[in-house]
Parts: sequence; C-alpha cells; structure tokens
Amino acid sequence: MNFTQYLLIIVSGIFVNNFVLSQFLGICPFLGVSRKTDTAVGMGLAVIFVMGVASLFTFIVQKYVLVPLHIEYLQTIAFILVIAAFVQIVEMVLKKFSPGLYGALGVYLPLITTNCAVLGVAIVNAGQPSYTVLAAFINGVFSGVGFMLAIVLLAGVRERLESADVPKAFKGFPITLAAASIISMAFVAFAGMV
Amino acid sequence: MELFLKIIIPASILLSLALVFGVLIAVLGKKLAVSVDPREEEVQALLSGANCGGCGYPGCAGFAKALVAGTANLSDCSATAQSRKAQIAAVLGIEAGSSVRYVICCCGGNEAKDKYEYMGFGDCRSMELLAGGRKECPRGCLGMGSCTTACGFNAVVAAGEKEGYAIIDRQRCVSCGACARACPKELIKRIPVDAKYYVACSNHERGKEVRAACKKGCLACGACARKCSAGAISIVDNLAVIDYEKCTSCGACAAACPANCILEVK
Repeated sequence: MNFTQYLLIIVSGIFVNNFVLSQFLGICPFLGVSRKTDTAVGMGLAVIFVMGVASLFTFIVQKYVLVPLHIEYLQTIAFILVIAAFVQIVEMVLKKFSPGLYGALGVYLPLITTNCAVLGVAIVNAGQPSYTVLAAFINGVFSGVGFMLAIVLLAGVRERLESADVPKAFKGFPITLAAASIISMAFVAFAGMV
Repeated sequence: MELFLKIIIPASILLSLALVFGVLIAVLGKKLAVSVDPREEEVQALLSGANCGGCGYPGCAGFAKALVAGTANLSDCSATAQSRKAQIAAVLGIEAGSSVRYVICCCGGNEAKDKYEYMGFGDCRSMELLAGGRKECPRGCLGMGSCTTACGFNAVVAAGEKEGYAIIDRQRCVSCGACARACPKELIKRIPVDAKYYVACSNHERGKEVRAACKKGCLACGACARKCSAGAISIVDNLAVIDYEKCTSCGACAAACPANCILEVK
C-alpha cells in the first residue's frame, strides 16, 4: 500500500464514510453524550483510542487466527470478545499508571465496549482483502476522528439549542434528532468522493 | 462425526481464545490492582449520599476522595448532618467546621435601571445573550428566575413584581448550589451558615457609575467599614467585603449603608 491509499483511507474514514453521519453506526453515544462540548470531546477521544487499538487487535485475530482456521463466520463473536477484553485491560492499565487520563476517559471507556461503531470498523477492516495491519489501524483511528467530528458538531448545535425558542412539541430529543439529520444531510455532499 | 467436529473445533478455538483473555485479565487485575485508602470508603459511607454536586466534586465518592487527600473541606458539604460530619472528622482527624449557606448578592431589582425592555423568550441565561441582559448594571439580578427553576427545593423565591429580584428562603435551602451554577451573572455566593449580614451588591464599578445604574448599589463609600467596631469590613475593588472571621453580627454596617445594600439574611 502506498501513501495515496492511506490518504484515501483517512479521508474516507473522516468524511465520506463517516461512521455516524453516513453509516448510522454508533448513534447511541452520539445522541447520549452530546449535551456538552467538553464531554463530547472526552467521548470522542475515547472512541478514537478504542477504535484504533481495537481495529489493530481484531485485524490480527482475523488474519492470523480466524482466516487460517477457516472460521471467519465466527468473527462477530470473536471480535466482541477481543474488544471487551481489551477495553477491560486498558481501563486497568490507565487506572494504575495514568489516573489523570483515567479520570478524563474512564467514564466513557465501558460505555463504548460493545458500541456498534467499534465493532463496525473491525468488520469493515476484516472485509478488505487488500488491507495491511497498518491500514486497518489507520482506518480505525480516523474513523474515530470522524466520530469525534460528528459528536462535537452536534454538541455545538445542542448547546445553542439550549437557549433557542423551540416549539414545545419539538423540545429536547425531537429537535436533537432533527439537528442530527440536517448535519448528516450536509455529509451527503462527500458521497462518491472516494 | 464430521458434523460433530465442525461444531466442536470452532467452539473450542473460541473457548481457548476466551480463556487466554480471561487469564490475562485475571492476572493483570491482580498485578495492576490500585490500593484504595480504606478511609475513603468509610468516609463515603458516612456522607449523605445525595450526590448533589454542591461541593463542586463529582458526587459523594469524589468528595470523599478529596477529603481523604486533604484538598476539600468538610464544610463544603451541606447535605450531610452535623453529627455525621463529626464522625467523619474523627475518622480523618480534622475539624468538622461549620456549614455554608447561599445568598443572592444583588438587591437592585426594580431600583436598578433597565437598558431596554426584554420581550423575548426564556430565562436569565437567554436574556444574558442579548447585550448582557436588560439591566444597566453589569452585575445586576435580571429577575427572570433561572435560579428559581434550578432549585429543586422551591427555596429560591421568584422575583416578585414589587422587588424585581430573587431571594433565597433559608428555611428551605439545603445549600446544594444549583442556583449558583444557574445564575449567568454569578450573583449567588456562599457565606457561613451563622453569618447574619451580607453585602447584596456585586458591582465592582466606581461609585458614580453605580449610582447612575442603580439606587441600591454599593458606592464603595466606606461608611460601613468606619462604623464596624470589629474592623471586619474592607472595600475591595470598589465593593464592601465582610470578613466573617471577625464579624460579630452587630448590624451597624446595615444601618450605616446609605444605599441600604447590606441586608440581613432572611
């Protein structure tokens, strides 16, 4: 794989195939943790971290365990197992060696253990025969960046909505869904670029 | 037999994968275990468990941790009963201290001049977005009741037509601080629970400008400081400040204030 292909993976992960706004995966933290910009940033960082390292591990498991043994059909279970175990270990390591980072990310880590965006990136990687381990890792990290972009955008909109005069029937969750759908419509413009 | 193998082999592979991770987590869990100070749990059990966040820490667990670390004061918590606090103090070997109460440091209301007539939507926070609110005074109570809405105990009495500013009912207040966080002007401050008088103005401008904006603003004239026999009042940054360590609650300052902005706690 050359540099251009890596660049394409990056652009695709952030904009074109944005996990939240184009593929509609990971909607639950997207709507749940987007009330304030700073918590949205924390969640976004945690997702980048977990997606990056989870795609690394799952790709290794896929390539060196599942494929040689011809049990690719077990990938969903195997991936969930790997991701859940990995998040547990990361949480323990962070708690021990970096309490500051644990304080910042700690609450969000268990939340994304079985998030469909994390599982989604693992399965997307596994379905690409041309991918190397590095490509899978890059795809994971930048899909996470795409998630962070989406959640921070929505958090910004929601903060403004707090003091806006919203019709009573649309107050709270309905207007959030409307805002999210309008943001995702803007991302349609990227479709077909890669 | 072939079918049997088809099921058994993948299952055992998955099982061994799970076993590897399981053992890894078990071993790492032992190795990386963080020793928690046993006093933390003890303190947390003694705290009220209201998780109100009034102390400024994320819940009672965070407060317990800060207490053990010595970075927080017991008096920051007002939801815990004084008897429980004494027990916590005994556990930690510190003093229990007294609790705090919140007061709204503005009594301008209708006596404070308006810049414009607000006819829009919402509460103080939305009004604040429009040129800093309707009052001439940059630190004046807007009287739209953000604090009233924020209070879960109906302790903040809504701005009445007559006064035009909010008052905290001390009988109902549990000192959780929700109102203080809701006020866009940051007018709601903490004073010791046994304090009797407080300065109900937060304007740091010079006397002339304060006078032009509000009839009940602190002019920083220093009359209160001169009348105070305990020497508890000083003028800091054009605003009278009461030092509650020295204050004897005599009330001489309130009587002396030409703008009547030193009030008794209601």
